[in-house]
Amino acid sequence: MKEQAQNKQIGAPMDRVDGRLKVTGGAKYSAEYELPNMAYAVLVGSTITKGRLTGIDTKAAEKAPGVLAVITHFNSPKVPGFDTAGKDPSQPATVGGPLKIFKDDKIRYNDQPIAVVVADSWERARFAARLVKGQYAPEKHKTNLEANASEAFLPTAAKKNPKHPMNDYQRGQVDAYKTGAIKLESEYVIPTEVHHPMELQAITAHWEAPDRLTLYDKTQGTLATRRDFAKEWNLPEENVKVIATFVGGAFGNALHSWPHESAAIIAAKVVNRPVKLMLTREQMFTNVGYRPYTWQKLGMSATADGKITAITHESVGQTSTYEEFTESTLAQTRMMYQSPNVTTRYRLASLDVCSPIWMRGPGEATGAFALESAMDEMAHLLNLDPLEFRLRNYTEQDPEKNKPWSTKFLKECYQLGAERVGWNKRQLKPGSLRDGEWLIGYGMGVGTFGAHRGAATVGAQLRPDGTVLLQCATTDIGPGTGTVMTQIAAETLGLDPKKIRFELGNSSFPKAGTQGGSSTVNSVGPATQEACLALKEKLRTLAGAAFASAKKEDVTLTDGYLALSGSPTTRVAYADLIKQGGDKAVTVEAKPGPEGQKYSMYSFSVHFAEVRVHELTGEVRVSKLVSCADAGTIINEKTAGNQMKGGAVGGIGMALMEAAHIDDRFGRYVTKDFADYHVPVHADSPDVQVAFVNQPDPHVNALGTKGIGEIAIIGVAPAIANAIFNATGKRIRELPITPDKLI
Amino acid sequence: MSIESDKPAGHDEARRTFLKQSSLLTAFTMVPGPVLQAATYELDEKVAAAFEKVPLRLEVNGVKHKLSVEPRTTLLDLLRENLNLTGTKKGCDYGQCGACTVHVDGQRVNSCLSFAVMHEGKKITTIEGLTNGDKLHPMQEAFVKHDGFQCGYCTPGQIMSAVACVREGHAGSEGEIREYMSGNICRCGAYSNIVAAIQEVKNGGQKV
Amino acid sequence: MNQFQYVRPTKPQAAIDAVAKDQNATFIAGGTNLVDLMKRGIATPQKLVDINRLPLTKIEKENNGLRIGALALNSTVADDKQVRQKQPLLALALNAGASAQLRNMATVGGNMLQRTRCSYFYDLAMPCNKREPGTGCGALEGINRMHAIFGFSDKCIAVHPSDMSVALVALDATVLVSGPKGERRIPFADFHRLPGDTPEKDTNLEKGELITAVDIPDGPFTKHVHYQKVRERASYAFALLSVAAALDIENNTIKAARLAMGGVAHKPWRLTAAEQSLVGKPATEESFRQAAAIAMQGAKAFKHNAYKLKLGPNTIVQALKTAASAA
Repeated sequence: MKEQAQNKQIGAPMDRVDGRLKVTGGAKYSAEYELPNMAYAVLVGSTITKGRLTGIDTKAAEKAPGVLAVITHFNSPKVPGFDTAGKDPSQPATVGGPLKIFKDDKIRYNDQPIAVVVADSWERARFAARLVKGQYAPEKHKTNLEANASEAFLPTAAKKNPKHPMNDYQRGQVDAYKTGAIKLESEYVIPTEVHHPMELQAITAHWEAPDRLTLYDKTQGTLATRRDFAKEWNLPEENVKVIATFVGGAFGNALHSWPHESAAIIAAKVVNRPVKLMLTREQMFTNVGYRPYTWQKLGMSATADGKITAITHESVGQTSTYEEFTESTLAQTRMMYQSPNVTTRYRLASLDVCSPIWMRGPGEATGAFALESAMDEMAHLLNLDPLEFRLRNYTEQDPEKNKPWSTKFLKECYQLGAERVGWNKRQLKPGSLRDGEWLIGYGMGVGTFGAHRGAATVGAQLRPDGTVLLQCATTDIGPGTGTVMTQIAAETLGLDPKKIRFELGNSSFPKAGTQGGSSTVNSVGPATQEACLALKEKLRTLAGAAFASAKKEDVTLTDGYLALSGSPTTRVAYADLIKQGGDKAVTVEAKPGPEGQKYSMYSFSVHFAEVRVHELTGEVRVSKLVSCADAGTIINEKTAGNQMKGGAVGGIGMALMEAAHIDDRFGRYVTKDFADYHVPVHADSPDVQVAFVNQPDPHVNALGTKGIGEIAIIGVAPAIANAIFNATGKRIRELPITPDKLI
Repeated sequence: MSIESDKPAGHDEARRTFLKQSSLLTAFTMVPGPVLQAATYELDEKVAAAFEKVPLRLEVNGVKHKLSVEPRTTLLDLLRENLNLTGTKKGCDYGQCGACTVHVDGQRVNSCLSFAVMHEGKKITTIEGLTNGDKLHPMQEAFVKHDGFQCGYCTPGQIMSAVACVREGHAGSEGEIREYMSGNICRCGAYSNIVAAIQEVKNGGQKV
Repeated sequence: MNQFQYVRPTKPQAAIDAVAKDQNATFIAGGTNLVDLMKRGIATPQKLVDINRLPLTKIEKENNGLRIGALALNSTVADDKQVRQKQPLLALALNAGASAQLRNMATVGGNMLQRTRCSYFYDLAMPCNKREPGTGCGALEGINRMHAIFGFSDKCIAVHPSDMSVALVALDATVLVSGPKGERRIPFADFHRLPGDTPEKDTNLEKGELITAVDIPDGPFTKHVHYQKVRERASYAFALLSVAAALDIENNTIKAARLAMGGVAHKPWRLTAAEQSLVGKPATEESFRQAAAIAMQGAKAFKHNAYKLKLGPNTIVQALKTAASAA
């Protein structure tokens, strides 16, 4: 379209619309709203792992200065929905449900909240919280996956429904790899990893009336959170308002409603004041989910000329005793390579731990560590370049669903990445390259994630000042949702992006799904586009005769007027349109079409790593990391590139340092903070290079997007592990790859 | 003995001990007898609480404050809760993430790891004080231009640290920047862009 | 955190008196460890004596050495010209610790008094003889990959976390303290102690004693020095293991050597026998390997830290190699 060429916003590296607020400290997160008469809440956790709470001594805490209430299972007001609410669709559990705080005396995991102390300042609440002492009747607990792997089971949802994706999968012969000529069988372990967004999980709960609740909450879905807490309190959804204008990172851990949120709401009810609750870093390990400890076994066979003949991939993931959390650990294995025989088996082990929750690149990142490591192992067995091995097993259509890909430009990604990392320097023989004491190696890992799209609704409104206001309940945990939606709107309307405001993070706005599964731009993007088109169409109708016969695409919004491109004199002032009702919001819902039935829709990525491993100390430095993605249309190279870089850094953490350890004797984490649980710092990150194929996918939506967030991390950890093998000849199959494993 | 003792009923005793010890403070000796007694026997916690606070003078972002704070209040909590300067973030509260970085008399520090009273008479600069009226500091501009953040939560700390890093002369190379910025964790992983922003400011030669 | 009294004396004697006379009082300087411990309920002083206004920040020449005030900031010392010239090993060790912000807060005295980072010490709900004598050592049979391989007891296998102290013990520093009974000088090697039956005591400081300065004698270790710290990420992490190495080399022959390890014991671990083995030897990898083998004599590992038995000698060799080749 002509005017779009003049006003090309999609693809432009626009600065973030909320950048100024974020660099000045003006962006307000959930614990930063000032409400009159604020009270502060601190959770007290159980010090046993399993058993019963026989009593709690709260006397000292209650008498401590400034304490307003100490709420426990013994005195908590009844939460009506705890008895009536069924399983919630917003919850990931296939069986069971979230922990109902203070509902009973059962202890299900260590540091489970047993009390919430409310006081008139943080200092006083924290002090009083230490005075609360639980009395317990402990029972024998289980916190170790491997020790309990023999009790692993098929998820209940799969047992009930033979079509459920967590069922065993089979194409060709069962476990055919066992009879293959060239075969391997390896076990892999991913430890518990914790999301640890920089913002501690926080909520400010305010009962504005006995039946009207406002929550300033760290959530990835304002509507899911609204639904959960409306249910807990048996309130009509419209009586609950959830505000999450800014979310200080989440990576999945705000996809679920957690006990601390219920605690803050109960506390606000009891003290009849707004209550602010912020978890400690220790509680971020114990009460808001994690990537589950997962054991995997992968068997693979291939022909001497490098064709995979069979893969069997099994996994056992950790879940809690009260919720069956499942994730798509084995999905990539079923569709990534052209193997005639594939078997997958997914099992769970219930332990006395808090429920896990999807963490960036959820199960796929876990599964890809096994699959992509095994690909490297097989390439090595075959004496083949791992890139060449992958090309020989490239799939031109989805071998799992037997459908064509909507689009797949993974080969192009391979090429881009290999060039940038300098793959031609890689030697087939491990340990061939060195620089002094540093051994140098190259590795690659592939990632994929479904290009998910859900229904979304956006409201668009022309304002008297000539700006357009867009609203949607979606959230932004960091990727730059408001920015890319502004770009989509600007291009669709032909309007300067500075004249557009996209508001989000409020459950009162038009509906959208949670921000997760790389689906936001796929879903909210087209809704924004369609809402803008509808707004334009409405204004055109109001604009009268001169516009009646005009082509839709010639109508454009300019500074102060609705105008016709190519006819500068034909224009109508917004003021005149507004007089006729032009300022009424247009709300449009955009839904996925039937294309999903015809095509298999995935984003793809490949990551290439160059590592340096110190031969004496075993330290690893990732000296180069190149991430290439086929993610459809890139709306904003700057923010999309940043998201890819962030995933790569997350992958460095996964590969080299992240692990949360429980001392099984106590059932307590020995990793409690950032001194014990390491996440990458500046010095761990190379200057990550990103390249996008940037080819639109015409089947996911009209914008051509496929999603970035997950594929940014999926495949990074094996790329690094494979590079370490290439450098040292050491194959490490248990993450993280710390120096002790390499000396 | 500790106030946080295991003895369930030990608090009263501990508190009285504390108040008795507080009598060493000159301020306390000026308290009229009945009030002291009321406080000691916890008849009025509010009265007691008043004497748990100490005066504090601070200059924050050029504004002089005369405050009364509990000695246990950290500089971070004082900024966020008492002065409503929420730009300074709490990311761990143990000096392990850098989100709370502010400048004290021009030096970058973790505001979560010091008590506010320890900064009597000092000049504190927070992210809110870096802006000159409407005009962004060059480092803030560079962070926007290079997209040196995603969720924005670590950003104020990164920027305060970055400004100090350049001022200290520790931004000489990419490697040096990465080392001297390692006290500021960005879980979104925007490190490459943050380094680019710092390099631009360093090489731009503007006054930071 | 409990409430506490806060006093801010300006004279050392007043500070000493304030702590000596009150069993629940303690000094606070940078606070980077103490505030952390107080937040978690591990330290519960009822009175804090803020010593930051005491005049103990100077770095000056003193007889045949450098005297560094106890309140000199880690960053100040690391960037100090005299320190970099005369004791570059100290500057390297300081910069290997913590972050730029923390080094701007932490003092020399406070750095020495850091408490262990053992996870069991840090958790009120788990046993720890150091935190609560008599409760047992959680790490002994627990997750002990960070723990000691030298000098431990069955009461405690924790390690001392300071990097700076590893350099100071290697450099034959002396700690100057002032207390109720007057002043005294403690050789750095005797400042920290082994856990024995009283792991709750980290150092040989007595109640009310205030560290006023550290003396480091001038020596020949101005060029061939290195601090090698192995950690789980590239920066801002405690050591799995570290080595401070200093050599005096003439015509490729080692005239004198200093060697100490961190992350292996309840105190910074001086390797005197290994040092002696180097004297008169050529500065070659073979000499370094022999010294490393001597250094590791008597080391014993637990379930999760056996890697230190190999990482130790490797890191010693690497540190010596780097020190020898330092230009």
